[in-house]
Amino acid sequence: MKNLKTLYLILILAFLYVPILALMILSFNESKSMAVWSGFSTKWYEEMFSNTLIMEAVWNTFTIALISAAVATIIGTAACIGIQAMRKKTENAIMALNNIPLLNADIVTGISLMMTFLVFGISLSYGTVLLSHITFCLPYVILSVMPKFKQLTGNTYEAALDLGATPWQAFYKVIIPEIKPGIMSGFLLSFTMSVDDFVITHFTRGAGINTISTMIYSQVKVGIRPTLFALSTIIFVVVLIVLVASNMAGNSTNPKVQKGVTAFTTGFVVVLLAGTLVFSGIAGGSGGKEVHVYSYGDYIDPALIEEFEEETGITVVMDTFDTAEEMYPVVKNESVTYDVICTSDYMLEKLMEEDLLAELDYSGIPNIDNMDKRYLELAEGFDPGNKYAVPHTWGSLGILYNTKVIPEGEITSWNDLWKDKYKGRIVMPDSMRDTMAIALKAKGYSLNTTKEAEIAEAIDYLIQQKPLVYKYANDSARDLILGGACDIAVVWNGEVLYTQEENPDLAYVIPKEGSEHFTDAWAMPAAAKHKDAGLAWINFMLEKQTAEVNFDYLTYSIPNVAVIEMNKDNPANMGVLFPPDAVLTKCEALKNLGSEVDDMYTEYWKKFKS
Amino acid sequence: MSRKSLASPFLLWIACGTVIPLAVIAFYGFTDRSGTFTWDNILAIFSPEHAQALGLSLLLAAISTVICFLLAFPLALILKDSKLGQKGFMIFIFILPMWMNFLLRTMAWQVLLEKSGPINAILTGIGLPAMEIINTPAAIVLGMVYDFLPFMVLPIYNTLVKIDPHVIEAAYDLGATKKRVLFDILLPLSVPGIASGVTMVFVPALTTFVISNMLGGGKIHLIGNIIEQEFTTSANWNLGSGLSLVMMIFIVLSMAALSKLDKDGEGSLL
Amino acid sequence: MALIELRNISKSFEDTQVLDNFNLTVNENEFITLLGPSGCGKTTTLRIIGGFETPDEGQVFFEGVDITNVPPNKRHLNTVFQKYALFPHMNVEENIAFGLKISGKSDAYIKDKIKYALKLVNLDGFEKRKIDRLSGGQQQRIAMARAIVNEPRVLLLDEPLGALDLKLRQDMQYELIRLKNELGITFIYVTHDQEEALTMSDKVVVMNKGYIQQMGTPEQIYNEPENAFVADFIGDSNIVDGIMVRDKVVKICDTIFPCIDDGFGQNKPVDVVIRPEDLIIGKPGQGHLDGEVVHNVFQGVHYEMEIEAGGFLWLAQNTTSYPVGTKVSLEVEPENIQIMHKPQSEGEEAIEIDV
Repeated sequence: MKNLKTLYLILILAFLYVPILALMILSFNESKSMAVWSGFSTKWYEEMFSNTLIMEAVWNTFTIALISAAVATIIGTAACIGIQAMRKKTENAIMALNNIPLLNADIVTGISLMMTFLVFGISLSYGTVLLSHITFCLPYVILSVMPKFKQLTGNTYEAALDLGATPWQAFYKVIIPEIKPGIMSGFLLSFTMSVDDFVITHFTRGAGINTISTMIYSQVKVGIRPTLFALSTIIFVVVLIVLVASNMAGNSTNPKVQKGVTAFTTGFVVVLLAGTLVFSGIAGGSGGKEVHVYSYGDYIDPALIEEFEEETGITVVMDTFDTAEEMYPVVKNESVTYDVICTSDYMLEKLMEEDLLAELDYSGIPNIDNMDKRYLELAEGFDPGNKYAVPHTWGSLGILYNTKVIPEGEITSWNDLWKDKYKGRIVMPDSMRDTMAIALKAKGYSLNTTKEAEIAEAIDYLIQQKPLVYKYANDSARDLILGGACDIAVVWNGEVLYTQEENPDLAYVIPKEGSEHFTDAWAMPAAAKHKDAGLAWINFMLEKQTAEVNFDYLTYSIPNVAVIEMNKDNPANMGVLFPPDAVLTKCEALKNLGSEVDDMYTEYWKKFKS
Repeated sequence: MSRKSLASPFLLWIACGTVIPLAVIAFYGFTDRSGTFTWDNILAIFSPEHAQALGLSLLLAAISTVICFLLAFPLALILKDSKLGQKGFMIFIFILPMWMNFLLRTMAWQVLLEKSGPINAILTGIGLPAMEIINTPAAIVLGMVYDFLPFMVLPIYNTLVKIDPHVIEAAYDLGATKKRVLFDILLPLSVPGIASGVTMVFVPALTTFVISNMLGGGKIHLIGNIIEQEFTTSANWNLGSGLSLVMMIFIVLSMAALSKLDKDGEGSLL
Repeated sequence: MALIELRNISKSFEDTQVLDNFNLTVNENEFITLLGPSGCGKTTTLRIIGGFETPDEGQVFFEGVDITNVPPNKRHLNTVFQKYALFPHMNVEENIAFGLKISGKSDAYIKDKIKYALKLVNLDGFEKRKIDRLSGGQQQRIAMARAIVNEPRVLLLDEPLGALDLKLRQDMQYELIRLKNELGITFIYVTHDQEEALTMSDKVVVMNKGYIQQMGTPEQIYNEPENAFVADFIGDSNIVDGIMVRDKVVKICDTIFPCIDDGFGQNKPVDVVIRPEDLIIGKPGQGHLDGEVVHNVFQGVHYEMEIEAGGFLWLAQNTTSYPVGTKVSLEVEPENIQIMHKPQSEGEEAIEIDV
């Protein structure tokens, strides 16, 4: 029986810690892959320290945690003293009130705080995150400190007063030492909860403000870079050291040991924070000009960001989103203000119609001459006169498949994705318009249809397909097919070159029914605060050299003359990147359908998702 | 300055940080885009997609809670009786994983469970069939149990530890078998801790969207996902608030049940 | 045959040896009390009999059968715990019925038994009461009821009256005696309160540091303590050095006192015990020793005085008060002088007790 118990304990501990160990091991993995070990390397650790975005996120996370824990502890402890002096009924009422944030779902807390800030005209920022954290830390402090008050050995406070102490002295010398364990555990608990929080930070943060959690989440869809594993490993180890040290100090009765350990721990933590500050470059001063950029995830080579900052002296604050639908409310509600956004044609159309974009002052964008004229024309389809947008990338949606498993040429139609023999091997996009476009095209309808019957049919078709689909994913589709988790993935043509480089057995086809093509372009929100900086950014993006570097990084069609020049002697590449007109005519761009039709699409999409 | 006034910063904070936001949600929940009063946002929970998502969420949350309990109770018992049940060490062991970011830990499960991931590699290596849990509700349940297990163990442990050991000896003295002691003495006396643990698992499990995003492969939509999307993608604050208000009902019910079963706050987390 | 026998029991906790080669026999229908200070091993002994501790060495026999490794739920004994250990989530009748339900008795039987038990402890009608609504004394009686209702051969009681106030404690002591007589079972009682032990027991076992110091009836323990520890522990006493001149004659404070003890040899140093209430105070010259009252305190029942006489500070208790400074004499009847061996070494030796 004893062995059974030990076994059970070990199993549970293994269950808890195996994922952590896995991450720690992967942080030393040579390659980005999470499934394949390709050798030991510390490069992610090195990269971590040179990645200012990560360092900023670390700085934010810990400063927010420290400040909110500290403030919450002070307010909370003061509150406990006050509550103690109240009648039992009032006390019970307050404690019940205190329980609400604790037991409330964090999503409700997060969105309620977000809405409150916006309703009262407070735009989201570092400060709003801080305020929110303090709010949810308070109950933990109360919960830790109140019991200690209840346990106070009676009359010591009166005894102190009796001996001549003032109320404050009595409090400080007698009460505080007795409730200290509660205060410490309240602080520690608040700190822990704050560092680990994701949902509330997610909703209440401002532009460019990231904590470790939100940074990780923004990368979840694209595939997390092991740099974040390295970061988490370090944090885990640091915390382990701190906790063990404080445990030791707590258990030892030797005051020298206690002092020594406390000093060491504090010093250790201070050094870490200082290091973070230095590495994040925040200390270097970001005083001066900024540009706030909001773009699809992983759309720009990070090296270019640095180059831009060096060239222009303008600091880049960058945020990313996964889908255009996610970006829309942010821009519309001005919950965060951006200076330049990069999004898709139909969304830009919608923003234009709603007067949310500013006309571009082309005197600030001389490099516009580097843009291939044909694509500028294409862009006029949604932006007549190119008044609001400058194309960044161009693309089409197609099917990528593994010819080792599926003979080349076997897939020609969208309807092939509904074949039983591919069950469990298919990855479809997870984006309302794009996914529905596939179904609509498969059925021979326009992907811009407004006819409810056609939409309903497409949704039903998609529902039918669900059991065959391994996963619905956007950017991570390419990793899935490379990793062998699936054999068919619907991807944008930009992914093709990259994946074919890694695995030459992959073939790409634009199905015969035609497909969706898109233009992603840079535009400037009407509410932009740093218009000049925004124009400088767009101009920089249009530079020939920038386009070349970006192309190397993205392998997407960048309709810059320099990129076309690079590829014109490679027909295979040209076919993928800049297909001939014959193919183009069968493709449709997504159009903005108006909010009523949008709502209808959304309703059906929800039906499909549930 | 009276002692009572020391509580005023806190009260002010609660007013601004909890009460007002709840009022804001209530306002949006009961109005439509133009500001007129409507029940639509609340009643929207009954529409098929929403009801289905809610149903699935309730089911998965319930299953996860039960599994958490079944795992946590024996664990708490073992820890209570063992020598290393020093309170500090216990809490230490369970708080420590929380320091590894919970998104990453959940993501780690995604890695481990992926079709071509390490677990399947081991399974096929020893001749067993590869498992296909990822992107199914089972994976989400696994993620929920993994994330919330400590919140079930700690309150139960804290309650068990407070049981007078003589009471247990008395039961044996009167002839009880181990089984009877478990069911007639230990279980009833740990109800406060169990109630606390259940609340702290069920509510987050019911409203999560992160776990379903990461382990559900985009195929599984829980009520949390729907609410989140109303605030990010669809920009329909009213509908989102209405649905949130409905979720609050579940939360309030849990709180009421908890206050009844755990009157003295024995089942605390600490 | 003895009902319970402990043979060569040794038990230690962490670094402390609590019992070392301990032997004890308990007979049927006895009210036997284990008496001693904290840490003497009395509770450990009780718990070993109950099965809640296993001895490191030695055996426990019940009716001649070795039950050393039998778990507590299979032993035919029941325990009344110090803090009652009532099941807080059950009411009175559920508590009492617990053991009966386990042994599979019928509902009717149980109902009758509960009624009988409650009547026995003078708590008729308390069936549906909640435990947290009971006073200390009531809880104690319910704990008794819960134990005895299972008709054990032996009842183990671990300082059950410790948490009650004086009056209640005294009442409960009489209750316990009455119960024992009515039920006709063996009581093994543990306490550190010597008054309790003397009031209720048929036999008292005085323990110290894991060894039996003396075993006997209350009168024997009180009047004829066999060593300084027992003498000191039980009641107040004057313990003074003496020389045994010869049988029935002892010299204390250079004065000859006739006594009734013999067998201690000739001219041997001994310990002498005289109870304070046995000192007869008279006018100087009337008694064995002359002295002066140096201290006087009224204690209700009597006056307690300290008298300097013969170079020793005597403790005397008398209903007559002699003010401080009064010159007095002290006299003792021979049968009130108790002679004891001086201890041979630091550790006291265990005594083999036979039936």
